[in-house]
Amino acid sequence: MSPADLPVGADVAFWVFALAAVATGYRVFRTDSMVRSAFLLLASFLNVGAILLLLSATYLGVALFFMMTVEMMVMAIFMVAFMMNSAGLNPMSMTHRSGRAAVVGWLAFAGGAAVALAGEFPDRPLPPGTDVIGTLGEELLGDSMLTFETAGVTLLATMIGAVVLSSRRSRFGDEAGDDASLPPTLDPETGEYPAGVIAERSGGHGGHGDHGGHG
Amino acid sequence: MSPALHADVWAAPLIVGTVLAVGAYLVAVLDAAATRVVAGTGLAPDVLIEPLRRAALLVVQQRVVTERPDAASWALAPAAYAGLAAAGLAVVPWSPSFSVADVDAGIVVWGTVESLAVVAVFLHGWSPNSHQPLMAAYRYVAVGLSCLLVSMFVLIAVALPAESLALNAIVDAQAGLWNVVRHPLGLPLFAVVALGITFWGPMDLADGADLSGGTSAEASGSQRLAWQGARAAMLVSFAALGSAAFLGGWHGPVLPGPVWMAAKTAALLALLVAAGHLVARVRAERFVTWCWTVLLPLAFLDLVVAGLGALP
Repeated sequence: MSPADLPVGADVAFWVFALAAVATGYRVFRTDSMVRSAFLLLASFLNVGAILLLLSATYLGVALFFMMTVEMMVMAIFMVAFMMNSAGLNPMSMTHRSGRAAVVGWLAFAGGAAVALAGEFPDRPLPPGTDVIGTLGEELLGDSMLTFETAGVTLLATMIGAVVLSSRRSRFGDEAGDDASLPPTLDPETGEYPAGVIAERSGGHGGHGDHGGHG
Repeated sequence: MSPALHADVWAAPLIVGTVLAVGAYLVAVLDAAATRVVAGTGLAPDVLIEPLRRAALLVVQQRVVTERPDAASWALAPAAYAGLAAAGLAVVPWSPSFSVADVDAGIVVWGTVESLAVVAVFLHGWSPNSHQPLMAAYRYVAVGLSCLLVSMFVLIAVALPAESLALNAIVDAQAGLWNVVRHPLGLPLFAVVALGITFWGPMDLADGADLSGGTSAEASGSQRLAWQGARAAMLVSFAALGSAAFLGGWHGPVLPGPVWMAAKTAALLALLVAAGHLVARVRAERFVTWCWTVLLPLAFLDLVVAGLGALP
């Protein structure tokens, strides 16, 4: 028998996971590196997933684990790629406009706390023998199928579009090489690049200004 | 099916730990033996001792640290990786009535194990604050994330004929026909995913010699030993899942179920380790292109084959 089967064990586990989720969520903004920040957020999500497991939502909990893991991994990579901090180990502040953010944060906390204190939550233990995953599958692929399929196809189209737009090869063919992925110019009027950019990237044959316009 | 027998809270870590320790030793011995065979120096009984000797050497070796590492994640990465290997092995059933943890979404647990493994390896390369481990970590993430998508299709294809996400039901559904025959693309694709996520042999992009050992370039002493042990343990877990998901698990004549599982796992391990000595290492960018343009469509085809086969 696992500890979660015991009522007391479940309560203790709930509080451990809940406090860990809040503590790691807090640390997301108090740490000093984007990579640490991303993985602390992941730790927070993993604790929420563990609470879902306590609620007998096995599939949802485990699905939350792997979806959040992949998302946070990709997020960490992208944050590091787009910021001028190639390793993510250099100390930097994780907050912006902390005054306003604090006000909004406390308001959101008050709202959530009000729901938690004033709301009425169902208190129905799962009847033994319920096929939780089967029921969830019926819900997703039964009456709500149109909604989920529409969302799914839209997301797929977005992903393919994003890959096509960002891929170095697909927009202007292989031979275009780096020319096809030059960044937008700094001066939109003249379409000129800062000194050095063209020479470094392609050896300076004509027509780069046009490509910049598509970005 | 008879009511599943669960290992209790105290026996579970013991069983999983023993299987992983024995399996990791087996991996090291197979690797040493394969090295000798490929090099043509001939097998000698000391391949049984060599891994232990190297492990003992690492235990007594001085531990070297880098300048300003993220000490916590550096120390935790091997533990996390080994823990994931243990979690993955725990949901794999060994006989109709025994799995250490009989989870009804076992195959989804494996999706989690694989994706968290990518995070653990990334952190192992990121936290030493050193350039070669960092480059290897990024390179590994590109390969690992590409493998994850292939893995997802392949694992769904395994769940389809069984009409269940539970590994127990998946093995049960292979009583008449093993999945390796039912949808033949599955096992080869899974082997690529396994080598990619465990960065083994031809897919060793995380700890490759071309980056002076990659994510473990700065790891030394007992920490290096822990990392190598965790790495071998993960390979064992993947082999166990592969046996259950594709090779019919406990099904087999005469011998009892767990023996068949152990034999199939060992055979798959031998195959994966041999690949490390017989196949050249791939380049990361070439593999990623290949993965998205060839392996992913093949994985989808595998899913279609499995789906058509599962139609009533």
